[in-house]
Amino acid sequence: MTEFADLLVLGAGPAGAEAALAADHAGLRVVLLDEAPAAGGQVWRAPRTHAARTRSDADQTRGRDLRGRLDASGVQVRTGTQVWDAVPGFCLSCVSERGATRFQAPRLVLATGATERVRPFAGWTTPGVFGLAAATAMMKAEGRLAGRNIIVAGQGPLLIAVAAKACAMGVPPRAIVDLNGRGDWLSAVSGFAAAPGLLLTGLKWMARIVAARVPILHGADIVRALGDDTLDAVIVRDRASGQETRLAADTLYVGNGLTPADEIHRLLGAAQVADALRGGYRTLCDADRRSSVPGLYVAGDGAGVHGAFPSAAQGRIAGLAAAHDHGALSAADFARASRHARGQLKRLMRFADASCRLMQFPEDSLQDIRGDTVICRCEDVTVDQIRAASGDGACDLNQLKHFTRLGMGPCQGRMCALNAAGVLRRLAVDAGRDLRLTPRAPVRPVEMAQLIGTFAYSDIPVPKPAPL
Amino acid sequence: MTFITHDLAVIGGGIHGASVALFAARAGMDVVLLDKGALAREASGTNAGTLTMQMTRAALIPYALKAHDMWVRAPEWLGHDVGVVACDGLSLAFTEAEEQLLAERAAARRTAGAPIRLVSSAEATRIEPGLNPSLRMASHCTIDGYANAYLTGVAYRRALLEAEVALREYTPVEGLDPTGTGFSVRTRTGVVAARQVVLTGGVWIEPMLAWLGIHLPIRTLVNQLSVTERTTPVMRTVVGIASGLLSLKQFPHGTVVIGGGWQGTGSRDTGHHTTTHESTVGNARLAVHAIPALRATRLVRSWTGFEAETADALPAVGPVPGVPGAWVSGSVHSGYTSAPYIAHCLVQAILGQVPDMPLFPIDRLLVQDMPAATDFTKNGTEH
Repeated sequence: MTEFADLLVLGAGPAGAEAALAADHAGLRVVLLDEAPAAGGQVWRAPRTHAARTRSDADQTRGRDLRGRLDASGVQVRTGTQVWDAVPGFCLSCVSERGATRFQAPRLVLATGATERVRPFAGWTTPGVFGLAAATAMMKAEGRLAGRNIIVAGQGPLLIAVAAKACAMGVPPRAIVDLNGRGDWLSAVSGFAAAPGLLLTGLKWMARIVAARVPILHGADIVRALGDDTLDAVIVRDRASGQETRLAADTLYVGNGLTPADEIHRLLGAAQVADALRGGYRTLCDADRRSSVPGLYVAGDGAGVHGAFPSAAQGRIAGLAAAHDHGALSAADFARASRHARGQLKRLMRFADASCRLMQFPEDSLQDIRGDTVICRCEDVTVDQIRAASGDGACDLNQLKHFTRLGMGPCQGRMCALNAAGVLRRLAVDAGRDLRLTPRAPVRPVEMAQLIGTFAYSDIPVPKPAPL
Repeated sequence: MTFITHDLAVIGGGIHGASVALFAARAGMDVVLLDKGALAREASGTNAGTLTMQMTRAALIPYALKAHDMWVRAPEWLGHDVGVVACDGLSLAFTEAEEQLLAERAAARRTAGAPIRLVSSAEATRIEPGLNPSLRMASHCTIDGYANAYLTGVAYRRALLEAEVALREYTPVEGLDPTGTGFSVRTRTGVVAARQVVLTGGVWIEPMLAWLGIHLPIRTLVNQLSVTERTTPVMRTVVGIASGLLSLKQFPHGTVVIGGGWQGTGSRDTGHHTTTHESTVGNARLAVHAIPALRATRLVRSWTGFEAETADALPAVGPVPGVPGAWVSGSVHSGYTSAPYIAHCLVQAILGQVPDMPLFPIDRLLVQDMPAATDFTKNGTEH
C-alpha cells in the first residue's frame, strides 16, 4: 500500500514537527513519520507512565504544546512507523505494527535527529553502563532512573541536565565526571548568554547539583568499568595528572556528545562535509534548508548538531521552503513567514556553538584506548583487531568491515563507525580518505514478518529462470 | 627511479585477477596487480560466496567441480582462510512447472558431471529439516557449499604479498598502449611496463578492451543480497529453487544470507549500485517460503554488486584477438565458484602450456555486433 502526499517529513521532533506544521499551514498535504509512539522527538518525548506525567517540566510542556498543535492541524501523523529504505523521488519504505507501507511525495524533509556518541573504554559494554541519552529517555518517558548508586560522566549540557534531574528524582549521583574543565564552561558562558532563558535553566540545574553536594570531577574521564554481570565500580582518570581513582557504582550514565543520525541523508546521496563541531558530518544545504538533492530539505540535528531550539527554527524554514517550492507560498509570503525563524536561528547560533564545543567528541583521546577495548559491540571487534586489519592493508572502513565484521551487526555501525574511523585514521591512513561505511538499507534492522506480510507463493514476482 | 618491466600486469584485483596474479607469480613470473580500489571490493567481496553446482550453467560444471575441490583445499594453496564450508545443496520445486524445470536442469547438470539426483519431498526434509514441507520435489547435490566472500580480499592480499606480487591498489588504470615488445599501462601516478597484460576488470572489461580497440559488449547485472541478524540454527544446507532465483545459507556465526540474483539498480559508468524495495521484499518472501523459520528473524542489511555477462552468458576467457600478449578473463557466470580453476587454466596458457581444460576465447563474441541474447534475466550464480 502506498500513501501519497505533497510533502513527507521524517522525524517528529522539534525540527520535523515545525516543518510539518509550517507546510500544512501553507496548504500542503503533509505526512509526518516517526518511529516513536508519539511526536516530540528525543527532547520533547511524550511521557508514557503516570509517574512521568506527574513530573512536569519545561520540556514536557513544550512537547504537550507540540502534540496539541499537530492534533489541531491537518498534518497526517504516522507514529510507530519505521522507515527502512528511501529512494529519491521520494519513496519511503516503512514497517509498523500495521505491516509494510510506502509513502510517496515529490518533497521530503529529513529531521532525523541525533545519536549519542560514547568514547569506548575498557568495560563500556558491561551491563549497568548506559548512555546519557538513555537516561533522559527513561526519565522523560517513565519518570524514573535505573540505579541507586549512580555516576554520570561525559561532557556537555546533557551531562549537567541528567545529573540535575537525577537529584530531583531523589537519586543524586555519587559523582559527576566531566571531561571539560571549569575553564571550558567559563568560556561557554558568553555564548550561553545569547539565550538567557536557557542559561537560566542551566544555572538552576547547577544550583540543584550544588545543593545536593554532588562532587564534580572536572577534566576527568572514565577509563574502565569494573564488574562482570553487573557494574561494581568505575576507574576515573584525571586527564592532567593521569591519576586514577576507583569509585563504586552500580550504574554509569556516560555520553560524549551527539552525532547526526544521517543514514537516510547518505542513502539519498545528499552532499556532506566533515564538521567535528556539528558531530562528525554536516549535510550541506542553502539558507532555506535545501540539500544538494532536488526536493530534499534537511533540518535539525540530523543535518548537523545545533540543539532543540535552532532545530525548530530550521524545521520551520524547511517546511516553508518546501511550500514555496511547491508553489503554495509566494516569495514575499515565504520571506514574511520565515523572518522570525531566521532571526531566532541567528540569535541562537552563539548558544548552539557554545553547547557544541562542550559536546565535541575528544577525537585525540582515541589514540590512547587500550588494545583490548571493544569498538564494535555487535561483533566484538577490539582496537587491537582494527590495528591488525590495518597492518593487513585495510585502509578504509568498508575494508575494515570485510576484514573484521566491524559494523556488520544489528546497529550497522551506528555506534562504532566514527570511533573505528578515529582509530584507523591514526594508523597512517591518507588524511583525505573518506572513512565511512557505504550506507545500506535497511536503515535499521527490520522484522522479517513486518517486511514481507502475508502472501501467496504464486504472487511472488519471481524473475525468469537463469539460462541453463 | 628504476624502470622495471614486469612479466605480467594484471588489471583488476577481484577474484579472477588476484588468482591469475597469484598463480603466475608462483610459476616464476614477475607480476604487478593494479586495481582502482582495494582488492576484492566489488563483486568478489560482496557476492554470496555460494560454491554450488545447482546454479551453474551445464557447460561450466566441469570447471566448477574442479574449482569446488580447490576451494575446499584453499588452506593448502591459498594459505589463508576464506571460511569455506562444504555441505549438501538442495534446489526446490513448489509447483508443477518448477518440478519440470528442476528435472530438466538436474538431468543436464548430471550429464555434465554434477552428482545431482531428484529426491522426494520427504527425503528433502530429512536432509534439511528446516524446509517448508509443502515442497513437491527437490534436487540434491552432495557437492555444494560456500565461502565467506568478504574475506576474499584479506586472504588474497596476504597470499599475493607472500608470492611477491607488486600490489598497486587505489591505482586506476587510464589506458593501455601496446609497445611492440609489451605494454605501457598508464595510471594517474605514472606508467607501468609489462611484457604481457591480463584484463580482469569484471563488468569493466568492456571499457578495458576498448583501450585495445576491441568491442566486447558486456551486460551489467546488479545482483542483490540481504542478510539476517545472527539467529539460532535454522538450516544446514545451501538451499535454492528450480529457477535459480534463490540462494540461502546460514553461516557458522548464525547469519543467513539471502540471494539468488534479484536485481537492484545501478550503472557501471558511475560505479553506483543499490537495492530496490521490490527485490528486497520479493527475495525475502521467497526465502521465508523455503525456510519458514526465517519469518522470526530480522533483516539487518541489503547490498548489491555488479555481475558481468556476455551475449551468450558464457565466459570471456582467453587471448585478446590481434593483440599478442594481451589476455582477458571475466563474465564467468559462476564467477566466484569457478575463479581459481579458470585462473589456473588461463595461467597455463599465458605460460605457453596447453590448459587442462579449454578456455573461452572471445572471438565468438566479436564477429559482429551481437543481437541481445534471448534471455538476460539471469540471476543466479552465486553473486
